[in-house]
Amino acid sequence: MKVSKDYYDEIFEFKGEWDMESSCGLKIREIDGKKYVIVTELYQDNPGTSVTYAGKKLADQICEAKGLNLKEIVYLECTPNTNSKLSFYDEEYFQVDFFADMQHKYRQLPKEEVMKILGR
Amino acid sequence: METIKLKLIYPKWNKLPGQTTFNLPPHGPVAFAATLPEYVDISFTDENVEPIDFDEECDLVALSMMLTTQVKRGWAIADEYHKRGKKVLAGGISTMLHAEEMVNHVDSVFLGESEGRSEQVILDWKNGCLKKIYNYMGNQPDISLVGPCRRDLYKRELYNHKGVQMVDLFHASRGCRFSCYPCAVSYLGGRKFRPRPVDKVVEDMAGIDNNRLFIVDNSLAQNKEWEKELFTAIAPLKKKWISHTIEDDPEILDLASKAGAWYVYQAVYDTSDYIKERVKRYHDYGIGVEGTILFGLDNQTEDDIKRLIDFLGEIDLDLAEFTIFAPFPHTKGHDDLLRQGRIFDFDWDHYNAGQVVYQPKNMSPEKLQDLYDYAWKSFYASETQESKMFRLFCNVALREMEEGTYRPRDRRLINKSFGRDVDRSKRNVNVRVQ
Repeated sequence: MKVSKDYYDEIFEFKGEWDMESSCGLKIREIDGKKYVIVTELYQDNPGTSVTYAGKKLADQICEAKGLNLKEIVYLECTPNTNSKLSFYDEEYFQVDFFADMQHKYRQLPKEEVMKILGR
Repeated sequence: METIKLKLIYPKWNKLPGQTTFNLPPHGPVAFAATLPEYVDISFTDENVEPIDFDEECDLVALSMMLTTQVKRGWAIADEYHKRGKKVLAGGISTMLHAEEMVNHVDSVFLGESEGRSEQVILDWKNGCLKKIYNYMGNQPDISLVGPCRRDLYKRELYNHKGVQMVDLFHASRGCRFSCYPCAVSYLGGRKFRPRPVDKVVEDMAGIDNNRLFIVDNSLAQNKEWEKELFTAIAPLKKKWISHTIEDDPEILDLASKAGAWYVYQAVYDTSDYIKERVKRYHDYGIGVEGTILFGLDNQTEDDIKRLIDFLGEIDLDLAEFTIFAPFPHTKGHDDLLRQGRIFDFDWDHYNAGQVVYQPKNMSPEKLQDLYDYAWKSFYASETQESKMFRLFCNVALREMEEGTYRPRDRRLINKSFGRDVDRSKRNVNVRVQ
């Protein structure tokens, strides 16, 4: 379940739940004046908390490290394709709104939108 | 140091209705107890087999919890002790999984493994500076520090059904190199397989006053050389044991059999010839198989589940255990369903793997629940679960008789079942708790 390097530009080390040492893939893209922060779950190479569980705690750490304002970015969580035979490990992208209620917090991105953001 | 009286409690949970009732002596509390200093005088209560006397004299209370279905009961117990002015600590697997909520209900939460660390908690309490959180997540102690559990704390007669002693739980390793979709073990114990030194395992196992064990390690199939060494070393003890998966390798299966493998829990996740042959290979080495069948993953349709249930009739399982997928915190399953807005029930009492708490992808929650109920009924239609268990029991008893290790039933407890009087007019199954 090794995650391809194509999913990230850098590995971002962060403090997860209960300050556990954790890692995720990170890409930052600017499109039409909007900053897209894309965090990718690394599964076996993440020794700590998942990107989803870490949630806003991770977003805050990225913003602090990169000089960004959480309210001004588009924050995306990526579960990468790991070429597993199991469909639960297919690629998916979700936009996360940390200021919305639980029902509206996550929005799955259609493929076209992902392609536009990533320039694929 | 003056003696400190610690009340150690393993909270009860509602057992799944309709299944055979049995209670095993819990492992977590006695593993934790072994890490406490000698001046701590422990009184242990497993609430599944006896009531708690909240007025029993004690200085401090510790809750040890393994299952998600124990946490709410644990919080209620903590409330009772708070009324009596006692401080309450919490630790164990479900404390780690539900730590964010746990801190709101107890005085101190211990996260991680306690070897070499618990005395500091006791000293902090004694000095009036108990911390809210002792956080050792991701910081596992040296595995060689893991010593024999405090099994002397068990009231043995409570883990006995009609004179037959239940198996003792035992662990030969911690951590898991796999990170399976529904499982939180790699979060809890780390993604590195950490075997205990084999000589310590042998010494520990030899000291257990029980010839039947359940080796609770997540999977023994982590390292072939370790498995060979382990099985060779424990064979002379002539214990009989249950475990999770063993490596699918003729040499290792042979060694496991000679080392006393009684039966294994083997996941049956599809209807392939591989599964059929895997079960057969265990049987070829005299090892029984309890199939564990998980329903409700996104890749399963109603037809898939029906086919899987039919398939069980073709593969000669000794026992089968059916579960419904439960999105436990800190699993990928939980993250996926949370993002997709599919979890509709966050009542932890319902996370018993027998109740649907989320919207399945390919069917309604009601349909999944029906299929689960149907699976139990159909597998045990021709022979009850209790009767199939009895056959496995007979197999092991015969092997023990051949080896001269068989212990007859305790006649004094022949009319007792887990501390209660046997009612022979009723089947030994769990009843639904409202």
